[in-house]
Amino acid sequence: MKWCHVRDVLDFNRHRGFFIDGAGDGVKFSMFSSAGRALLLLLLLLLDCAADRSTERNYEYTKYHPMPEISAWMQQMVEENPGLVSSEVYGTTYERRDIMFLKIGVDQDGVQKKAIWMDCGIHAREWIAPAFCQWFVKEMLLRYKTDKKVGEMLNNLDFYVTPVLNVDGYMYTWINESTRLWRKSRSSPPESCSCPGVDLNRNFYANWGMIGVSRNCCDNTYCGAKALSEPEARAVTEFVGNRSGEILCYLTIHSAGQLLLMPYGHPQIWAPNYDELMRVGQAAVRAMGSVHGMEYRVGTSPDLLYPNSGSSRDWARLIGIPFSYTFELRDKGQFGHKLPEDQIQPACEEAFEGARVIITYVHDKAFHNRTDIGAAGMAAALWTSMLASCLTTMLLV
Amino acid sequence: MCEWEPGISTQFPSTPGNQTEAAPSNLVLCLLKQGQSPVERRLTPHTPAASPSVPGQEDIQAAMPVEELDPSHYPATRAAKVAEHFINTRYGSPFAWFGSSGVKKAGLEFTLKEMTRNDMGLCSAEVLFHRADERKPPQVQCTCSGAFQVNTSAEEEDLYQRLRNATSLLSGSDIPNSVGHIDPEMAPFWHLGGVASSFIMLRESNESTLLNMAHIDNFTQMETKDAQLMFQYDILLHDMVSQEILKWKLLLSWSPDGGVKVLEAEWDPKCHKILFLHLFIIFLIYPNKTIY
Repeated sequence: MKWCHVRDVLDFNRHRGFFIDGAGDGVKFSMFSSAGRALLLLLLLLLDCAADRSTERNYEYTKYHPMPEISAWMQQMVEENPGLVSSEVYGTTYERRDIMFLKIGVDQDGVQKKAIWMDCGIHAREWIAPAFCQWFVKEMLLRYKTDKKVGEMLNNLDFYVTPVLNVDGYMYTWINESTRLWRKSRSSPPESCSCPGVDLNRNFYANWGMIGVSRNCCDNTYCGAKALSEPEARAVTEFVGNRSGEILCYLTIHSAGQLLLMPYGHPQIWAPNYDELMRVGQAAVRAMGSVHGMEYRVGTSPDLLYPNSGSSRDWARLIGIPFSYTFELRDKGQFGHKLPEDQIQPACEEAFEGARVIITYVHDKAFHNRTDIGAAGMAAALWTSMLASCLTTMLLV
Repeated sequence: MCEWEPGISTQFPSTPGNQTEAAPSNLVLCLLKQGQSPVERRLTPHTPAASPSVPGQEDIQAAMPVEELDPSHYPATRAAKVAEHFINTRYGSPFAWFGSSGVKKAGLEFTLKEMTRNDMGLCSAEVLFHRADERKPPQVQCTCSGAFQVNTSAEEEDLYQRLRNATSLLSGSDIPNSVGHIDPEMAPFWHLGGVASSFIMLRESNESTLLNMAHIDNFTQMETKDAQLMFQYDILLHDMVSQEILKWKLLLSWSPDGGVKVLEAEWDPKCHKILFLHLFIIFLIYPNKTIY
């Protein structure tokens, strides 16, 4: 669906310097007759309709959106990008809502490609996370034609992006100010207890229930009556689990704290590729810091934050996905989970750079057998991000 | 060489909230051994420090676990957060609200941000957690430079006079709102709520907490007969470690001369609990506005 309103065409051209008076008092170009004027207008209309007025440019990425708007946006991304974007429902929430991802990547005649997984909004109140997933999709699509590396990655890889994993919880946080800070799912409590919801990021089958959890269903780190009690966690487990051979990287997006967390959440268990995860993570946080000067730290959860178990990040690493990170986006406590909308853009810009370092490394390791993260690569990333930021701002404003 | 003496000695000040006295030096917890570079610490059980003992202190030495911390690890982050709350209780106002923004050295040096103007400063602090009795609030000593320099007395006086001369009592709610927005007229009351919350958060902090103010449900200006302005606040705190939201009711006073004081504070536990826990805390702290 292309948005080709005549008014938009006129406005657009007014900004370019063509003066066409809608009241019909005459074009400023006095040499044209009225028939010529009509022809000119038609030509401009056709040219503008041919120009890209797609959703990735016109959707308000710097505002928070309720679930129906996000679902509509996903639909439009699929419709406007055939052969590049598709979607799939891969699970159902407790309250029977669809859990959906967008699959971004050049369709290679149905061949199963290597892939990278990203999910956002596993915790309902962390609104900047779904905002980032939408931003990420927009950036990848905008850069597909202009950025050689992104083009190559979209050819070689598929990106599975779930903008909102905990749909029930996210919708609950939109009801009113008293529900805004809900974190968990919305499942009914067990018989012995009275509060709804399970912390989805304690419910995965990864040292489930061992540390950093509560067994009290009223607490915000309640891990559930058993591992994978929650359909949302089961949905990810089934889909990603069935493709663990193809999935090179698992990224899960949260707020807040400005951290990049590596496996594992248990203080005495270390990933076999700890050093590599740390090296790539350090490059990522350096890239993030270079965008707006915000400090991000990288390390395991027990080192930087607190021990925990049953997280999706840990589970992904345990089943053999070599790169698995939790992003904790802005801020450090001033606004917490209620990050103002005027920070959506800078927060997403820096998060994108961090994600880009990781996915570029993962891609190059798989397809070029390259494992250096050179200064040249960093500089290129910085220049491209600045250029892209300028272009994006120009186009969206 | 720094020492740490476990437990509380009788030298500890007896009146709650009297934190203007410097802690005796032998109660200071060193977050980093002097002269050593930060060593990455993995979470292993405490082992006695293998370092030369100071003459005359051998008996204390054997019981002393001195922890070496990485500046990026959580203990330094939590200690900086405690120091941030301490600084707010001393220097905070509707126009001065401070946040810790990054640990530089685990010893403890961290960047301090004044959040109303985004001014930055650097602080050096010592934070003592009372492990033997976690109900005792942490003790903080702190020196800062930079973010304090701005004089806010004009804005404070202006706000104070406006409220004193107003015909009706002010109130507000839902700060910040769901999308993080705060009306400009409400901003000083957001900062005031944050500063007042720091009194509670300082009191409630221990090694296993990382507290921030998450939301002001509402605030109401109360009638007063004296020079202080008085407000009732219903606030939500967030503890990053437990991920819980904690509901507190505060009664606070403020004036440019008197500074911020929390007169009463009451914790409202979750609805499913039957008993209420009442804590009435009287703070009589006169913030010292000079830089030291």
